[in-house]
Amino acid sequence: MKKIFFAICFILFSVFVSAQIKSNERLVYAASYNMSGLLTHIAQVTMQTETVTTSKKTFLHLSWEAATFSKWDSYFKIRDLYETYVDPVTLRPTLYKRSISEGAYSKTEKYIFSPDGRTINSSSRKKNEPETKSTFKVSGATQDIISMIYKLRTVDLSTLKPGQSKVFVIVFDQKEYPVSVKMLGRETISAGSLGARDCFKMSISANTNKLKGTDKNLIWLTNDARKIPVMVKFSIPVGTGQMVLSSATGI
Amino acid sequence: MRKVLIYSASFFALLGVVLTVLPFGTIALLPIVLALVLVFFAFRISSVKQRRFARIILIISAITLLVVIGKEIFVKDVVVLDKQFEKNKVESKKEDIKDLEGL
Repeated sequence: MKKIFFAICFILFSVFVSAQIKSNERLVYAASYNMSGLLTHIAQVTMQTETVTTSKKTFLHLSWEAATFSKWDSYFKIRDLYETYVDPVTLRPTLYKRSISEGAYSKTEKYIFSPDGRTINSSSRKKNEPETKSTFKVSGATQDIISMIYKLRTVDLSTLKPGQSKVFVIVFDQKEYPVSVKMLGRETISAGSLGARDCFKMSISANTNKLKGTDKNLIWLTNDARKIPVMVKFSIPVGTGQMVLSSATGI
Repeated sequence: MRKVLIYSASFFALLGVVLTVLPFGTIALLPIVLALVLVFFAFRISSVKQRRFARIILIISAITLLVVIGKEIFVKDVVVLDKQFEKNKVESKKEDIKDLEGL
């Protein structure tokens, strides 16, 4: 599930901020595993936004939650939660957290970004292991994977011509990954409760063995101001799958 | 040849039953369809007296096929409310706000 989530997040990644992400938005997806063209629904993925105010600052809380459908819970229960607290305008992260519970495996991870974004204080703990802490340097523009997902939606994609791509950097598992996003064109896609929508089709590739194939990791974003991710197709070492929007509220 | 077809069909029919019981969705159709195809040919080359076992596999495969299709149509995928997970989320958020206040 971690690989699948990583692939999905990579595909949902992008570049320049030109619009704001709304608070109280909720997007629900059905994630499926593909075998010889046949799909089996595995989990529900929920993307949510919420405004969080402290005594000093207001943050946008972005979260991704993955939970297996009840039919899978008896065999392999997944309850993953990825969260980040970002500046509501720049989407620059301050605090990123990951809590993974997949079958017998569990892990928690926390990154605290320095104000200039060049240093991350991290702490992580795996099941039955002591907590480990470390500090590592990253490039100033590096963000966590969740805030990158939302940045993708603030990009003016209409300026990208088919074949054009850009390279970016994200941090995951205490490593920086360059990610290339390529515009492939436009397609009409059935977007769950939103109906058929004209979408930007984009290909994501990264310098990692977690993604496979050329133009096999794809994302479709609605061609409008909200740029809702309506479908994701991913190809990873353990197989292929997809994530399809089933409902969207607060958009 | 007939025995090979019967054994293969039996294997795929059994696999189909297992995948149907487990939550594999339409993936269970793969062995079931294979079993149906194999048992169909086994049935054709069998004499009338030899058709009993092939008929049983055919019925089992057909029933599992209907079960898979029925599950796909009538059983909705749902996520049950996990109280412990919800509690963890609330506690995590409290901890996050503490961290953010301290930055």
